[in-house]
Amino acid sequence: MSVDPLYLVQLTLNGITLGLLYALIAVGLALIFGVMEIINFAHGELLMVGAFAMSFALPAMGLLYWPSVAVAILATMIAGLVIYETLLVRLRPEEFERSILVTLGVSIIVLHVVQYLFTANPRLVDTQYGFDGIQIGAIRITFTRIIGALAAAVAFGLLYVVLRHTQFGRAMRAIAQNREAALMVGIRPRVVARNAVVLAAGLCGLAGAALAPLQPVTPGMGQFLIFKAFALVIIGGLGNIPGAIVAALGLGLVESWIGGFFEIAWQEGAVFVLMIAVLLLRPDGIFKRGAMRLG
Amino acid sequence: MKAIALLIAALAAGALPLLTDSNYILGIAVSAAIYTVAAAALNLIYGYTGLLSFAQLGFWGIGGYAAALTVMSFGGTFWQGLLWAALVNAALALAIGYPTLRTGRHAFVIVTLTFALLVNLIARDWVELTRGPLGIPGLPAPSVLGFEFHSTARFYWIAWGYAVLALGGLYALCSSRIGRTLVAIKQNEPLVRAQGISPMPYKLAAFAVSAAVTGTAGGIFAFHLRIIDPLFLDFYYMQTFLIMVIIGGAGSFWGVVAAGVALSALPEVLRFSTDFRMIIYGLVLVVAMLVMPNGIAGWLQQRRLARLRAALQ
Repeated sequence: MSVDPLYLVQLTLNGITLGLLYALIAVGLALIFGVMEIINFAHGELLMVGAFAMSFALPAMGLLYWPSVAVAILATMIAGLVIYETLLVRLRPEEFERSILVTLGVSIIVLHVVQYLFTANPRLVDTQYGFDGIQIGAIRITFTRIIGALAAAVAFGLLYVVLRHTQFGRAMRAIAQNREAALMVGIRPRVVARNAVVLAAGLCGLAGAALAPLQPVTPGMGQFLIFKAFALVIIGGLGNIPGAIVAALGLGLVESWIGGFFEIAWQEGAVFVLMIAVLLLRPDGIFKRGAMRLG
Repeated sequence: MKAIALLIAALAAGALPLLTDSNYILGIAVSAAIYTVAAAALNLIYGYTGLLSFAQLGFWGIGGYAAALTVMSFGGTFWQGLLWAALVNAALALAIGYPTLRTGRHAFVIVTLTFALLVNLIARDWVELTRGPLGIPGLPAPSVLGFEFHSTARFYWIAWGYAVLALGGLYALCSSRIGRTLVAIKQNEPLVRAQGISPMPYKLAAFAVSAAVTGTAGGIFAFHLRIIDPLFLDFYYMQTFLIMVIIGGAGSFWGVVAAGVALSALPEVLRFSTDFRMIIYGLVLVVAMLVMPNGIAGWLQQRRLARLRAALQ
C-alpha cells in the first residue's frame, strides 16, 4: 500500500487539533478527580453548553470570534459553579459511585432540557473567519481549526503557570497530594474544590467554543466526547494532568490515522482497545497515578 | 412464612393472563418482569458487591443481538439463542473484568461505561453482522414442541417463567455464603483479605453471573419487541435499571424487585413526552442520591433501627 505523504501530513495535523480539544476535556476531569476524587459525568454537557453559548453569542456579536469565546467560557464557568454549589459540595471524597450517579442525573437533565428548548436539530455555526484557511501546497487547514488548536495549547500553558506558580494552583495541588496536611496548613478544601470545578468548566467551555465552528452543534455532542475523555483519564492515569494531555494527543493522532485508512468503526473502537491494553500492561495508567504531578 | 408468601406472589403474577386479555397491560407486564430481572442483576454487582457497572447496557444489547442472530442468521432456535446470550456475555464479563478489577473500583466504572458505548458503536457500524441502523425486524415467535408463543399473553409465560427462575436463582445466590462474602467485599475489602479470602474470584463470578442474567433478559426482550436495532442499546435502559436499583435500595434484594415492578409502569404514565420523561428520570436520580442514597429499603431499615433504639431508652 503506497501512502501519499501529503495525505498523511493532513491527517496528522487534524489529529493534533482533535487531540488538543480532547485534552481540554480530559484535563478538566483529571483536575476535578485530583482535588475531589470524583468523576463529573456532566462534563460533556458543560462542553455542550459552551458550544451552544458560542452558537448564540456569535450572531449577537456580529460573528466576532474572540468575544463569543469569552461569553462561552463565562457561561460554562457559571454552569460549573451552580453545579458545584448545589450538588457536588454535598459529596465526600470517598463517595465515588454516588458522585457518578448524581452527575449522571445532572447530565440527563441538562441534555434533555436543552433538547426540549432548542430541538435536536444540528446547528451550524459561522464565524468571522468563515471557511477561510491557509493553503500550503495541497494541504488546507481552516483558520477556525488552527485557532482552536492554538487556543488549547495556550490554555495548557496558562494552566501550567497557574498550578505551578500561583497560590490558587498550589492549594489545588496541595489538596490533591495530601488532604490532611493541606487542611493543617489552613487550606480550605471547599474553596479549592469550587475553584477546581470552575476552572475545569472554563476549559470545557473553551473546548466547546472551539469545537462549535468545526462540527455541527447538537445537544448530544458532549455525551459522545465525554466517554472518550473518561477513557483518556484512565489511560493517562487517574488525576494525572500531563498523562491526560499526552493520552489525548495520542488518541487524536491514532483516531485520525485510523480514520484515514480504515472503516469508521475502527476509529471509534480504538479508544476502548487502547484502554484495555493499557490496563492489562500498566493497571495504573501509562503514567503512574500521581497526586496531580506537573512534570 | 416468607417462602409461602413468595410462592403465592409468584403464582399470582403467573395467573395474570387469565385475569386480563388486554395486550397493553400484558405488554407492560412482560417489560416489568424483564426489567426487574435486569435490575436485580445490576443489584448483584452494584448493590451487593459495590461495583457500579454500566456494562449492563452492553450485556443487555449483546444478549438481544446474540439471541436474534442465532435465530435469523445461524438457523438456531430461540432457546439456543438465549443460551448463547448467556454464554457470550459471561465470557465477555470475564475478559473485561479480569484486567479492570485489578485496578480498583474507579477504573471499573469507567471501563464498563466505555464498553457499553463500544457495543453501541458495533451495533451501528458493523453492518455485515448486525445490519446496522436498520436492525433485524421480524423475529419469529418462539415455540416449544409445536406450541407457539405467538400472542402477548403466551409470551408473558416465557417472561414470567424466566423472571421466577432468575430471581429465585439470584436470591439463592445473594442469601448464600457467597452473597455474604460479596457484601463483605463491598464493606471492607482489606478485612476480607485478612480472613484469607481472595476477593477477585468472587467479584469476577458476580460480574459474570450478572452479565449472563442481563444478557438472557435482553434476548427475551428482543423477541418481545420482535425487532432489534441499535436503539435497543439506548442509554435509557441503563437509566431505568439504575433508578430501579437506587429507589429500591442497593443491596436490598426484595426492595429492588418491588421497585422494578412498581417503576415499570412509570414509563407508560410518562409517555406524553420523551424529553420530559428523561428530565424526570434525571431529577429522580439526583434527588434520590442526595436524599436517600440507600433507597426506600434503606430508609425503612433506618426507621426500624431508630425505633429499636427508642425502645431501649
